[in-house]
Amino acid sequence: MTLAAIIAVLFFGGIVAWLAERFRPGASRWLTLASLVVGLVLLVQLWGGATPGTAHQWWHSLEVAWIPRFGISFFLAVDGLGFLMLALTLLMGLFGLVITWSDIRFRRGFFYFNYLWTLAGVVGVFTALDLFLFFFFWEVMLIPMLMLIAVWGHEERIFAAIKFFIFTQASSLLMLIAIVALVYIHFNASGQVTFNYQDLLGAQLPSTSAWWLMLGFFIAFAVKLPAVPLHTWLPDAHTQAPTAGSILLAAILLKTGAYGLLRFTLPLFPEASVQFAPVAMAIGAISVVYGAILAFAQRDMKRLVAYSSVSHMGFVLLGLYALNTVAIQGAVMQMVAHGLSTAALFAIVGALQHRLHTRNMEQMGGLWTELPRLSAIALFFAVASLGLPGLGNFVAEFLVLLGSFGVDHWTTAFAALGMVGAALYALAMMQRAFFGESRRTTSAADQKALIDLNLRETLAMLVLAVFLVFLGLRPQPVFDTAAPAIARSLAPVTAREAAVTNSSTTRPATAANWPAAKHKGETP
Amino acid sequence: MTREELFAILPLLVLTAGIVLLMLQVSFRRGHRAALVTTVAILAATLWACFSVGTALPASGILAVTSLFSIDHTALFFCVLMVMAALAVAILAFHHLESRGASHAAGSFPEEFYILLLLVILGACCLVCASHFASLFLSLELMGLALYPLLGFAVIGDESPQRDQLLSLESAMKYLLLSALSTALSLFGIALVFAASGALDFSAAAAALREAGPNGGILTGGLTLLLIGVAFKLSLVPFHIWTPDVYQGAPTPVTALIATVSKGAVVALILRFFTQVDLFSLPILSTMLAVMAAASMLVGNLLALQQGNVKRLLAYSSIAHVGYLIVAFLIGASAFGQEAVIYYLVAYVLTTTGAFAVASLVADAAQPSIPGGPQPIGNAGEDPFQVEFYRGLFWRSPGLACCFGLMLLSLAGIPLTIGFIGKFYVFAAGVQGQMWLLLATVVIGSALGLYYYLRLLLVMLQRDAESRDVQPAAIQVAVSGQLLVVSLTAILLLFGIFPQLLINWINAL
Repeated sequence: MTLAAIIAVLFFGGIVAWLAERFRPGASRWLTLASLVVGLVLLVQLWGGATPGTAHQWWHSLEVAWIPRFGISFFLAVDGLGFLMLALTLLMGLFGLVITWSDIRFRRGFFYFNYLWTLAGVVGVFTALDLFLFFFFWEVMLIPMLMLIAVWGHEERIFAAIKFFIFTQASSLLMLIAIVALVYIHFNASGQVTFNYQDLLGAQLPSTSAWWLMLGFFIAFAVKLPAVPLHTWLPDAHTQAPTAGSILLAAILLKTGAYGLLRFTLPLFPEASVQFAPVAMAIGAISVVYGAILAFAQRDMKRLVAYSSVSHMGFVLLGLYALNTVAIQGAVMQMVAHGLSTAALFAIVGALQHRLHTRNMEQMGGLWTELPRLSAIALFFAVASLGLPGLGNFVAEFLVLLGSFGVDHWTTAFAALGMVGAALYALAMMQRAFFGESRRTTSAADQKALIDLNLRETLAMLVLAVFLVFLGLRPQPVFDTAAPAIARSLAPVTAREAAVTNSSTTRPATAANWPAAKHKGETP
Repeated sequence: MTREELFAILPLLVLTAGIVLLMLQVSFRRGHRAALVTTVAILAATLWACFSVGTALPASGILAVTSLFSIDHTALFFCVLMVMAALAVAILAFHHLESRGASHAAGSFPEEFYILLLLVILGACCLVCASHFASLFLSLELMGLALYPLLGFAVIGDESPQRDQLLSLESAMKYLLLSALSTALSLFGIALVFAASGALDFSAAAAALREAGPNGGILTGGLTLLLIGVAFKLSLVPFHIWTPDVYQGAPTPVTALIATVSKGAVVALILRFFTQVDLFSLPILSTMLAVMAAASMLVGNLLALQQGNVKRLLAYSSIAHVGYLIVAFLIGASAFGQEAVIYYLVAYVLTTTGAFAVASLVADAAQPSIPGGPQPIGNAGEDPFQVEFYRGLFWRSPGLACCFGLMLLSLAGIPLTIGFIGKFYVFAAGVQGQMWLLLATVVIGSALGLYYYLRLLLVMLQRDAESRDVQPAAIQVAVSGQLLVVSLTAILLLFGIFPQLLINWINAL
């Protein structure tokens, strides 16, 4: 029930916040804060479920029949991976709320309604284990996000919102077809109509169908990730969204794509995934380098951060499709670390835009003297983003490269160029915006009005910084939490791989550790 | 005719008696409100008749009433659906006519609207029960003949602006001419079928088809012509040319009627016709339908992208939706195919009624303030049917805009709404039939569709209305109109979130 309660708190919190704003201006923020805190408290209670060695693979689950006609149930469950993602979701939701506490003036109640509904949808995505329910939440989180961009966004908001929505929606229809086809094939083979993830894991698929179905899932997730030819919605959406919306998009919504790949695509279509892995790794490596190059070329600071997301999420794709534990651990770590660092960077850009009314770095310069606190924090997150050792992003990227190198030397080497690119764009951003001569065109009177980060903003940023340092110095808890889920996702893949290569060359260790039978026995 | 048979057509009898009653009432004492009350009562009685016949049907579930009609649970379900839609249209029509001076203007005869409306419903209910070419043709014509004056009702019934009258007249003439053409084609088709099979009831046609196999040229030709006539009514591409003009010109409640009842009844008819005669075994008909469906999805959605008028936009979107529906229809005689078609049809009727209801009520509310005269309104922001008119509606009338937004999301097939479940059924049917090309077309069509639904939705959310000097006022809708829209939205959400309720009913048929 706790899982359903988290979702319910966010859903109803949104409605109440909307209504409350009519009676008492400002109440919606506090209600949003309260909903998020209640959600977090409920989430923390789930941690107790982490009893290693039990037969159940889920820490906590809830299954209620929903549409029996199609064997669809309201099936929520959480394991280590899900827990990490939920924690990230709620914490970043909280961060986005606190950092933009006084930014929203227009129709505040409706803003927080959409904000909470987006979060509720994302929580649903990270916990749903019925494919229909997953798709349901996958779509539900888009509409409020669309509203956030379209109503509270910047200049080109309508265009960006529609582009964002059509890209994700059209690709997810492909996923819907793939889901239905998967269920249908499973039904023909077993005589049982079910959308349950655990039942479908055992589906015997003809290899050509599996290939096409895998592609349907992959495209939907790759759009969300985003991976290179399908990324063009991202710079527009991220740039035009309001700060809180950008934080949600970058820190949480992008992760749903990576989560989907790990949770669904790999274990459901192991054989096809193994075949497809070289292509996916290549796409990932190209995303890394391409994102880095384009980030370097931007003048708009928010666009720069957006393209850096493309680059960082490329590492996730690369790591996931290296198909070994080390690289996937790196990918999960990257999901968390990128969530933290990019959220902070978007918050900084938002703070700058709030003060300077521009995102154009050519009109900044020399801000350090005026905004020392903001600039120092910006420097911290910029170097986190470029992968400074000692911070979470470094651990993540290092592990991804380490795990991938054994699989494909050249692709990994190519992707490693992205690290150089990251150093270039992150430092260039610092140099252009915060160092050197001031290039601002505003009058002296306006310049005096610049206010540094206040206590609330500073504290929020520092919390994220502490998290990043912690992840960088002691990443092991994250690995331990995610390990069982990763192992389960990887088990069918490595089994299939071992069968193909006779466990000869590349990854004998992992293949021996996780035989396929173990996974099947665990299904409750 | 036995007593059972007479009882089985009780809904049709109630409707017929109701029409006579209403005519008598109007001839003795005119009164707009009284006519509406009688109409609603007649429709309610018809609903009751449908349910009581449904419980009394024999165990086989089918009762043949002479060779003309055959009553079964599916037919009764469609009757209920049509009558519900008619209820909504009657309420909309009341507001539509009232806002155009029905009660006080001299020479205004609003009561006839309801007689014609009941005639259309009688035609539709006969059509869904038809099991004979004669009853098929008669009911199709009854529906058509009652629709012509309805489409042109702005001319005779009230004091509409001259612009509306011109458009309405144009709409009626276009529908009359093209409908006559399609009727002629289907009549010729029926004649060919008769020539080949020597009988006019569906079962005889089915026997003749089994005997002739796929080589029966005359029979196939006749059926093809008949299908073309049906495609006209369904406005499948390339027989869709009349749709946007007719939809735009007609009084908006009539647009809702023609988009839901007329199309729904024809879908119900071909569902029965194809199953009983086993036309799915004729590859030429299936291919024809598949091509028309694909063309409808693409052309409908592409042309809808260009529209600035809400009614035209919804017209093109309805063309596309019938295309989606045909995809589900194509998987043939299986029980699942039937279930998918019925679910999608319910979703379509519900959502389309709702969308036109909002458009109609908004236009009624704006009626006093728009200029008269024959010229089109120059300023797009003042024409209540232009997308521009809806700018910022969400901030002015949040309730109405929320409902309209949900209707649009349902048309676009987004979860939480019934439209999503309908689309899910289409996908499931397409996967079962392995129609990958058609499914790809559905995806492309939906992506195109999203663009214009979202554009309309986002226009309602535009926030620059804040900065204007003169704030456009909130749209005042009468209570019954609000109730109608809210209840339609509630059903849309209910069946979107708990689809099992509706699925159970459909499976019980």
